[in-house]
Amino acid sequence: MDVLLKVNGTEHRLAVDVRTTLLDALRERLELTGTKKGCDLGQCGACTVLLDGMRVLSCFTLAVAAQEAEITTIEGLAGENKPLHPMQKAFLEQDAYQCGYCTPGQILSAIACVQEGHANSADQIREYMSGNLCRCAAYPKIVAAVQQAKLLMEGP
Amino acid sequence: MPDGNQTIIGQPAIRIDGRAKVTGMARYASDEVVANPAHAFLVTSAIARGRIRGFRLDAARAVPGILDILMHGNVGGEAEKPKPMSGGDTTTTLESDRVWHDGQIIAVVLAESFEAAREAAHKVEVDYEAEPPSATFGSPGVEEEVRKAGEHKDYKVGDAEASFAVAEVKVDARYGTPTQHHNPIELFTTTCEWRGGKLTVYEPSQFVYGLRGSLAKQLRMDPGDIHVVSRFVGGAFGSRGGITARTAWIAVAARRLNRPVRLVATRDQGFTIVTYRAETRHHIQLGATRDGRLTALRHEGWEVTSRPSEYNVSGTETTARVYACPNILTKVNIVHADRNTPGFMRAPPETPYMFPLEVAMDELAVALNMDPVELRRINDTQTDPATGKPYSSRSLMPCFDQAAERFGWKGRNPAPGTMRDGDWQVGWGCATAAYPANIGPAAARVTLTLEGKARVQIAAHDIGTGAYTVIAITAADRLGLEIGKVVVELGGSELPAAGLAAGSSHTAGICNAVAKACEGVRQRLAQAAVTSNDGPLAGQDPAKLTLSAGALRAPGGAAEDLPKALARVTTGVLEVYAENIPKGLPPESIGKVYQGQMAMSRGHSREDATTYTFGAQFVEVRVHALTREVRVPRAVGAFAAGTIVNPLTAHSQYMGGMIWGISAALHEATEIDPHAARYVNDNIAEYLMPVNADVRSIEVIMVPEQDAQVNPLGIKGIGEIGIVGMNAAISNAVWHATGRRIRDLPIRIEDLL
Ligand code: FES
Ligand code: FES
Repeated sequence: MDVLLKVNGTEHRLAVDVRTTLLDALRERLELTGTKKGCDLGQCGACTVLLDGMRVLSCFTLAVAAQEAEITTIEGLAGENKPLHPMQKAFLEQDAYQCGYCTPGQILSAIACVQEGHANSADQIREYMSGNLCRCAAYPKIVAAVQQAKLLMEGP
Repeated sequence: MPDGNQTIIGQPAIRIDGRAKVTGMARYASDEVVANPAHAFLVTSAIARGRIRGFRLDAARAVPGILDILMHGNVGGEAEKPKPMSGGDTTTTLESDRVWHDGQIIAVVLAESFEAAREAAHKVEVDYEAEPPSATFGSPGVEEEVRKAGEHKDYKVGDAEASFAVAEVKVDARYGTPTQHHNPIELFTTTCEWRGGKLTVYEPSQFVYGLRGSLAKQLRMDPGDIHVVSRFVGGAFGSRGGITARTAWIAVAARRLNRPVRLVATRDQGFTIVTYRAETRHHIQLGATRDGRLTALRHEGWEVTSRPSEYNVSGTETTARVYACPNILTKVNIVHADRNTPGFMRAPPETPYMFPLEVAMDELAVALNMDPVELRRINDTQTDPATGKPYSSRSLMPCFDQAAERFGWKGRNPAPGTMRDGDWQVGWGCATAAYPANIGPAAARVTLTLEGKARVQIAAHDIGTGAYTVIAITAADRLGLEIGKVVVELGGSELPAAGLAAGSSHTAGICNAVAKACEGVRQRLAQAAVTSNDGPLAGQDPAKLTLSAGALRAPGGAAEDLPKALARVTTGVLEVYAENIPKGLPPESIGKVYQGQMAMSRGHSREDATTYTFGAQFVEVRVHALTREVRVPRAVGAFAAGTIVNPLTAHSQYMGGMIWGISAALHEATEIDPHAARYVNDNIAEYLMPVNADVRSIEVIMVPEQDAQVNPLGIKGIGEIGIVGMNAAISNAVWHATGRRIRDLPIRIEDLL
């Protein structure tokens, strides 16, 4: 069936199987492979994207159901040779990853976490970032990165 | 080689591949773009033992978009089974109608889309001839045998049985560790593409040459016709060390369809189509004098493996040499069950084997009424007790002292159950961590351009360890360049060979090879500069010239800028290839790596010395007085691992290892249905791993240590040691909090009721 997806400000018209997840549409059809598949079961958070600024699991969202929304993926935060989003910069500087596979999902989740107002303390960040598994276990540095970026995102 | 000024090695550096990772541009294997791929979905066996009588495929073949179904009957002869890196034989998949374990690959469905392949795979019906399977230790039908010496050996020093019998103080106990699965967040994927007779394989790998070599044998091809690409790996932890069965079948599928094929195996399939950490059992006997000196150490282990495999980790090779002891006896048994073949998982031998030793040491300290740190001090040694060889360096007690100080250990009341904070019983525990300093042969090519940039090519693997960056750091240090001037190419079998990224051997192996190639560059430049008639370095001793800050420099201050020095030897680029053969390995060992075989100098089997990394780990646990929930609010680890190339990523490695230890002690276990021999919690919601809210303060201390003997750069490796002492430290802390001695992992609420 035909769908219209608005991804990172660009409209894409494509024909998908009705069962196609937003995750597979992004990765397999639009070659936006920054969004990762870690379980396809809603358990890991690696596939997190923003739909109208809200974090959702793209493996648990059908492509047909994402048509009305503005979709933001990791590729939409900073273009090639463009300045990084404060959250990307914070992950880079804090070494808030190892293999980097969970990182796109962590970064989008972290941006939403700050915007939701759920980044007011280390404990709150830990709780509200617990939907994103990191098998490399960069958790303490992810908390530090969210704290660093929050200051820049919210301004003085 | 003359020492560079070493201003860059040892300084924290942000990952050179970091921008790619935070922008989504890093290409993991399944992100690589191939034209119009067909999608594969695996069909796996629903029984654990028996034979396949036949398939009923009408429903599957009726699915729109289906392209082909691979089974024993149509492709079984097109590939051979893979040869594991360790343990000899393994189970078959499509080569036979035999079922060796639950979840074995028995068919591969190919379709135009992932959705169609999945639907068709679910419609494949299988007729089995099932036999009752044996699941694990104690199941009827398992076969137990003593592990033969070969890959691993046993130790017999003095007379441990007689000394134990007469020991003044004794510990005699049995311990167990569970099945665990690596569960990297990146799934197990394979993409294959043929061009003419040449095959490209995109697959996350810890050993691209190993994958190429094995696949060539399996498909009866020339290895030169296979190209393996693995630029970024989404976590490995041992799971991507050896090739597994899926790869050859995806290659066969792509050849049959004459079209690229992509497999992204599901999370539950990842529990059975690759390896895992097998469950273990242990019997430990420690004898000691009343003043705490060990007089006897016996360690016997049991490990589960598959029916055909002799895989085992034999961690007694480490436990036999951690403490001074005149009488040592070790033995390892393997138990064959109807299971998939196990394999490497983070600190493969030490995680399950140091747990019982270090809990037993804590029990001994209690029996002696002695501080556990003091017990380690009394039995510390600079001589390997199993062989009598010296340790090249061993900083165990500096690690204990620094970690104890930071932790505040001296405030501990030694009596159990005496520290309390509201509803929480508080306990403190500690343990030793030890891991051999291993190193493999590797080759590297360094190319210097007239613009003063360097390119380093080496088939290394960055599994999250920071390999890209340590290579750039080493080259920058040795060539006198800024890190930003170095480009690193790794993760492909088109590059000079490097070995398996495992066993904490990789940084040592690859950085020494890169340093050697850089030394070749320096020698070429130095020779040309000193023999020139005009330059500022004419007539100098070439051995004394160094590259630093963009120039070739003599000790007295004379210098020539790099572009000028380079122009003396080339009008284009200067390219140097070098191979590094670690001490004790034969020159042909690099050839083995090119062929895809394991070649490694191991810390406990060197002629000249025993080379090990040591650490000390301290944890606080809190056990809720009513719910018995266990928490770890803080942990301190101190480690001495020789040269630390990049303290920023090293910190992440140690920290990640320590959290893995918390996870192993309190969360992780693959539950096995004893009748069906099937993994029950085969997903990452029910296979418990820590989330952010489970982790509190993790402090890492890097104890300075120089070791000129271990390898030229003095690197010991850090990826594994962070997990090693944590299991025991947590169990020991639980004892201190509650008085309960837990000898089986993981420690769960029900153990503390
Ligand atoms: S891939 Fe969506 S939650 Fe894991
Ligand atoms: S960085 Fe590897 S899973 Fe998070």
